[in-house]
Amino acid sequence: MNWWKRRSEQLDDEMRKHIEFETQQNIEAGMPPHEAHYAALRKFGNLSSVKEESREVWGWIWMERLWQDVRYAVRGLLKSPGFTSVALLSLLMGIGVTTALFSVVYGVLIAPYPYAKPDEIWALGVLGPKDRPPGWHSYSRREFFEIQKLPAFADAMATSFEPVLLTGGTNPQSFYGILLTGNAFHFIGVPALLGRTIQPFDIKGDGEPAPVVVLTYRFWQQNFNGDPGAIGKTLVLNDVRHTIIGVMPPRFGWYTNDSFWLPMRMNLTDETPTNVIVRLRPGVSKEAAEQQLQNLNVRFAAEKPRNFPKDGFRTQLMNYMDITVASGEMASSLHLLSLAVGFLLLISCVNVANLQLARTTTRRREIAVRLSIGAGRARLVRQLLTESVLLSLFGGALGIAFALGVTRVIAMLIPADYIPNEARITMNGYVLLFSFAVSVLTGILFGLTPAIRCSRPDLVDALKDGGRGTGASVKGQAIRTWLVIAEVALSVMLLAGAVLAIRGFSHLLNVNPGFQPEKTLMVDIPLNPKRYPTIEQRNRFDRELLENIANLPGVRSAAIGNGGLPFGGARSSYSIEGQPEAPDKRIVTSLISNDYLRTLGIPLKRGRQMTLQEVTTGDHLAIINETAAKLWPAGEDPIGRRIKIDALTDLGSPQILIPAGSSAEVTVVGIAADTRNQGLRDVTLPGAYVPYTLVAPPNRRLAIRTVADPLKILNAVRERVHEMDKDLPLGRPVTLQEILGFETVEPRFNMALFSCFAGLGLALAAAGIYSVISYDVTQRAHEIGVRFALGAKRRDVLVLVLRMVVKVSALGLIVGLCLSVVLERVVRFQVFAATSFDAISAIGIIGVLFLISVMAAVLPAVKAGRVDPVIALRHEA
Amino acid sequence: MTTSDQSPQLELLQGTLDLLILQTLLRGPAHGHAIAKSIESRSEEVLQVGHGSLYPALQRLLKQRLIMAGDGVSENNRKARFYRLTAAGRKKLFAETSKWQRFSEAIARVLSPLPEHGK
Repeated sequence: MNWWKRRSEQLDDEMRKHIEFETQQNIEAGMPPHEAHYAALRKFGNLSSVKEESREVWGWIWMERLWQDVRYAVRGLLKSPGFTSVALLSLLMGIGVTTALFSVVYGVLIAPYPYAKPDEIWALGVLGPKDRPPGWHSYSRREFFEIQKLPAFADAMATSFEPVLLTGGTNPQSFYGILLTGNAFHFIGVPALLGRTIQPFDIKGDGEPAPVVVLTYRFWQQNFNGDPGAIGKTLVLNDVRHTIIGVMPPRFGWYTNDSFWLPMRMNLTDETPTNVIVRLRPGVSKEAAEQQLQNLNVRFAAEKPRNFPKDGFRTQLMNYMDITVASGEMASSLHLLSLAVGFLLLISCVNVANLQLARTTTRRREIAVRLSIGAGRARLVRQLLTESVLLSLFGGALGIAFALGVTRVIAMLIPADYIPNEARITMNGYVLLFSFAVSVLTGILFGLTPAIRCSRPDLVDALKDGGRGTGASVKGQAIRTWLVIAEVALSVMLLAGAVLAIRGFSHLLNVNPGFQPEKTLMVDIPLNPKRYPTIEQRNRFDRELLENIANLPGVRSAAIGNGGLPFGGARSSYSIEGQPEAPDKRIVTSLISNDYLRTLGIPLKRGRQMTLQEVTTGDHLAIINETAAKLWPAGEDPIGRRIKIDALTDLGSPQILIPAGSSAEVTVVGIAADTRNQGLRDVTLPGAYVPYTLVAPPNRRLAIRTVADPLKILNAVRERVHEMDKDLPLGRPVTLQEILGFETVEPRFNMALFSCFAGLGLALAAAGIYSVISYDVTQRAHEIGVRFALGAKRRDVLVLVLRMVVKVSALGLIVGLCLSVVLERVVRFQVFAATSFDAISAIGIIGVLFLISVMAAVLPAVKAGRVDPVIALRHEA
Repeated sequence: MTTSDQSPQLELLQGTLDLLILQTLLRGPAHGHAIAKSIESRSEEVLQVGHGSLYPALQRLLKQRLIMAGDGVSENNRKARFYRLTAAGRKKLFAETSKWQRFSEAIARVLSPLPEHGK
């Protein structure tokens, strides 16, 4: 730069002397000195353009200009701090929030898995005439072998799981071990972090698996402190010593992220269901593959009709990504939130556009002046471009920083149970680039349009037009008013979403679950099926367990509730005596002990409870809920009637046991009050409670109501269980209140994000309203001055300003509300549970928006009230 | 980047201006004003746009190392920046001059009346 400066000075000096010499000569030729100087100047030509041209020869001109433009731009931006900060804030929010949320969507919905080509994995679906969507059909191991042989499939693997008891350490622990076919890891395509994965040779020719185990990263960390020496050590699983052959990387969670994978016993007579997934052979169409599989399914259905829909079915391949991530509640709320941030990005772009328009319109005069004293049009546009780009880049940089923070916050807020094990939420470069580009382009586009328009050579108009806007600038104002209306409409839609989310959430908090969740502990005790191979053993264990725990000090009552405690339960087909069969209806079945209703605080409406004696002997009795009672025609008393519940004899797994010769028919003895047996957000299904002694699955779930803090009883419970069987693990204990908390996690996430987004949207809209009104007031200062001069009161002027605000926000409000209602009808807002758009929501939105617009209008209104008519009118002259 | 957007006519003028400057400096070092005066006396239109257009041309020649600049003292005893021809400038001037001469001779031959056929 030094060389540059010296040379510039040299050149200036040289030219000054040139003019001096010429003046001298002119004087010598007899001109008066004053005239001589001007003649010399005229002869020399345009001094500054000569300077510029000369420097251009040096070749550094672009740098000089850029530097000059940047300095000029910074000065210009600093001179209007209001404009600059609002524009920066808009860019920051637009880029930051959009990038953050789309990063979450990318991590959770688009690329959640580390598997090789996860979008080419297909699950096998079977679809009855009324089913929609198809269910994921499961197959036995023998069937899996046949599927594997189908020519349409390049590869097929099966996954299953079973409870595994880990012993040999200090405390026995129960896990779900994931069983895999030998080709599974090859199919999934993720290598081991340490050691090796399960290979086909780990399952011998006769189907016997080798005693090997591959650990999850978390299991390895927790049990071996991440020691690489764990490879080759052994674990006692279900009394068999297994050698650890490998550890998987942290981002791998096929069906589990805290236990382990074992080779599957390929026993042809084993009917345990397995989940089969396939990859298609290259060149084979999905339809062709479905046809082959359909033929096979038809054969399977002929062998075992029970596993397939009764009245015909179709086979459909389902994309694994679609069924595991792109469905479900998290997916729909993320889709909705994406829509919301899309709106937010739009709002911020509109805001930036608006600000740029306002700014360049006020600079028309400046631009015209610079053009008329000889600035090149291209040069001028380039300079304005520098300013826009500078602003956008700076805003973008802030946006990136903001996006980093917001991504982290959302990743923290997102409920872990709702996203795939392997989903990693990190800031996504592509998304960042996208929102950055959109915002920056908006800024540049709207910063430049007026510049290009203004720099057309109708300078006279622009100069005459002066500070006050008429003609073109009135048109600009109209565009900007519409932009603000759009902004308001968009933020109203966001607000509508937030209101719905908040109401949905508060509604959920007020839902009565139908049981009393206070001071109740829930704990799972899984029995090892091999140690308790008969139903008599299991039932005896349960009876003793209940006695032992109920007698603990501090325990009010204890009960077994296998399945359906507190939500879910086996959905079984049923038939009611004296009624035609209804094959597609289901009843939710829970296996309970006699104290169940008392322990959970579920009132008995009619009839009687089951006695200890009846439960112990396994009498075929049932208590039904009120919804189930309605299955009988009005006026007919269900008590004393019989109902056949198929799940009581039709068992899904060989590990579930029933007494020999047990029947599926039970007699109704009582009617209990309804509980929300499918979770707080879903309607109550017909439910039946039957004695736990009728069906014994490996796991039992206990509910223990205590006098004081339920977690304090835990140690005593553990001791009792240990006394009964020292190798018996205790599942993770949880209180009923915690379970209810889980139910509200996802709505809370929605509510938090929606409210944030709506708040940001409103803030941006307020900034938009403010900028337009305040600009309008400046432009109309003259008119307001005239009004004052003609005797208008300050109040009249305030009304004038408020009328502008009301016009803008009312139009935006109407458009926004209409769009919200339409959108709510079009998109099924399953996210918002039971709530829908109503008068209360609308009133809330109108109130908030009104408040915000008035706040945005206060400053401009005060400014308008302070207009001094003398100054305003003199300005005109 | 700098001169590409200029019209062919201006380019021609620039070429002429460059040559005129070199020609002027052949008689000895001179400062800007003197060069301008000398050119003015010889060609009316080249400097029509103003004496100022001399300076970009001088910068161009400096950059091409056809001339050199240094401080000197003017006829009225003032310190001024003097330009003089370099060896490269001299060579360039002769080359251009002979090129122009050849060119104008060729033009002259083309335009001169044809000798009558058969005589």
